[in-house]
Amino acid sequence: MKKEIYWAILKRIASSVLVLLLLVTFIFILVRLAPGNPAQKYISPKLSPQLAENVTRSFGLDKPIYVQYYTFVKNLFSGDFGISYNYRQPVFTVVKDYFLFTLVFSIISFVIQLLLGYMFAKYSFSKPGKLIDKLFSKSSIIIFSVPTFVIGLILVYIFSVKLDLFPTSGIKSIYHDDLNSFEKLKDYFIHLVLPMITLSLAGVAVFYKYLRDNFDSVKNSSFILNLRTNGFTEKEIFKKHLLPNAIQPLISIAGIEFGVLLGGALLTEIIFSLPGMGRLTVNAIMNQDFPLVIACSFIAGLMMVLSNLAADLIKIKMDKRFIKGLLN
Amino acid sequence: MILVLIIVFSFSYIIDLSFVFVVLIKSFFNNSDDVYSQLNLTVADNILSLLLIVLLPVFIFSSSKVKKIFAQPLKFSNSILIILATCFLFAPIITTRHPDFQKNISVTKLLPPLSSVDYVEMNEKSIKSTNNNRLKSIIDKVIPNSYNENIIFIDSAIVGSDIKLYQSGVLIDIEKNNLMMLDNQPVIKSKLFIFGSDEYGRDVFTRIIYGSRVSLLVGFGAVLVSFILGLSFAFIAVERGGLVNIFLSRLTDLFLSFPAIFLVVLIIALFGSNVISIIVVLGFSGWMSLFKVAKSEMLSVKNKEYYLSAKLVGLKNINLLMKEIIPAILVPVSVNLIFQLSNVILAESALSYLGLGIGTEYPSWGSMIEAGQRYISQSWWLIFIPGLTLAITLLSINEVGKNINKYFNSAIR
Repeated sequence: MKKEIYWAILKRIASSVLVLLLLVTFIFILVRLAPGNPAQKYISPKLSPQLAENVTRSFGLDKPIYVQYYTFVKNLFSGDFGISYNYRQPVFTVVKDYFLFTLVFSIISFVIQLLLGYMFAKYSFSKPGKLIDKLFSKSSIIIFSVPTFVIGLILVYIFSVKLDLFPTSGIKSIYHDDLNSFEKLKDYFIHLVLPMITLSLAGVAVFYKYLRDNFDSVKNSSFILNLRTNGFTEKEIFKKHLLPNAIQPLISIAGIEFGVLLGGALLTEIIFSLPGMGRLTVNAIMNQDFPLVIACSFIAGLMMVLSNLAADLIKIKMDKRFIKGLLN
Repeated sequence: MILVLIIVFSFSYIIDLSFVFVVLIKSFFNNSDDVYSQLNLTVADNILSLLLIVLLPVFIFSSSKVKKIFAQPLKFSNSILIILATCFLFAPIITTRHPDFQKNISVTKLLPPLSSVDYVEMNEKSIKSTNNNRLKSIIDKVIPNSYNENIIFIDSAIVGSDIKLYQSGVLIDIEKNNLMMLDNQPVIKSKLFIFGSDEYGRDVFTRIIYGSRVSLLVGFGAVLVSFILGLSFAFIAVERGGLVNIFLSRLTDLFLSFPAIFLVVLIIALFGSNVISIIVVLGFSGWMSLFKVAKSEMLSVKNKEYYLSAKLVGLKNINLLMKEIIPAILVPVSVNLIFQLSNVILAESALSYLGLGIGTEYPSWGSMIEAGQRYISQSWWLIFIPGLTLAITLLSINEVGKNINKYFNSAIR
């Protein structure tokens, strides 16, 4: 049995690496497809042809394509992303701060989504058919279909414009550096409440709906009836038997959602002007800053692949029967 | 029934429009160059809507199959979709104004919903007609343009022995003989802005109805593209099998793991943002789920007897696909397509919100929300009303998808 588990894990990791390589190839092809030489920004028309050739050679653009590809892949995987055109700094230092913010923000939002979704689903499952249950179900569908930016703007309107409770943009106030550390934390907190609600609301609705439907569909299956006639309490049935069966498909969706969140929540960042990866990527694409675009896409894809891998590994640990599906 | 409502509300406009149509046909036989020079997009739009509103009931009530569809009871979500479809087809007749019509912005800008503005019209004699062409003058009078110099919006007026007209507090200079008069008093009509006006004085109601055209066009186009892509990939994967299957599965995993927003933004920033590129890009980013559903359904059809016998008889692949497979897999695929439609409409409005959408010549709901963002403290309706229509559209599409799912799947059970 153990050997099978190891084989399955190895196969899964190998397929992730393959997808990652395909991703890198795809980014390489896309960037080369763009009109214009990638080194064009450094060559002005007044340069003499020899200097222009020197610049092109220093970027390695006169070597054949597969050599360029090989250096590209090698650089990406060793963390050397090059120098950004716009910021005139190594891409790594530019991306570092933005990525840290996105990481913290996404992790907190993801945890909130899971917890709230699970709590609401469990609460409405314990009172099936009553008013609260119907209210939650209908409102989760409504919240799920309204687009994120509309929810964000409505929240900004209600809380910032009318009630004047929360600030509308950024993560720090102007006077942030003058406060002591406890006030600094409170300042961060107040700035992040509205973006957090905007980002998490759609996720909470999705998780709630999924969990509720799964609970409903598992509740009427025969093994639950069997357990109930044998005299298990409802709490035990729920915790040990209902929950693991219902959570299984949720984990794959949670993995995808976490990967998407880590890639950069674009719309929320643009509404609230947060310094995150989404805005960095879009600005880089608009300014045609290719090293930055490559690095951001690579990081976003890497996060997606990693979170899918983590979701699959969790599923392997929870239910050994999943291995059969992986090994085929 | 909705058609009857539309006809009732804009009857006078339809009469005028049919008059234009008749004159158009008549002058078409006289001298055709003239007609071609007058046919711009707005005129063609209006004429087409008129033709459709006359022909569509005839077409519906003549064929019995289509009549059966219309005899079913009406649910709320279905009715929303029917309203959208009528907005798509008959947009110029529902609102008799042009979506970009701006005049006298100081009076008409940023009005709250259900507000009306007074205006006076210029006299028949004083309209400068530089062209003696009868067709052009008729077209200019009836079909709305984006600029009309014969209408003057006013704020307030003092009418007595001496007529004074004010625009936002400033006296304007108008010759008394030029205004339309009735018993020596100027005729003051009023124009109603149902949903208010935006910061350039344009009517929000008209822009929403014209914006529904953009959403539906991009939505159906992208769904069609992803339908063709997903179906053909699934068919190739199932027919050849083996290595091609594995390769295509890995390809879909790749597309799923690459963040779709960046791909879309990248391609739009590289190749420009017009309708075709947006339809193609959104279609290319959404075929993955269709591929998985279609592949699993096709695998179950592949071993059935009628499929094997059709293949042995010698049907070519394309015929095989059309005649045997599609009727069998139609139900789950169409459910998937409907949810894909709601995703695409959402994505198109998000792209317009970011500024990468269709462009500025046609109003889109996302760009209306983006433009209204700056006035959030004074005009809530600029954001709220497009957002509400967007939410209602998406909700009703999801509801229709769920209903189809429930209807067909419960029938099997």
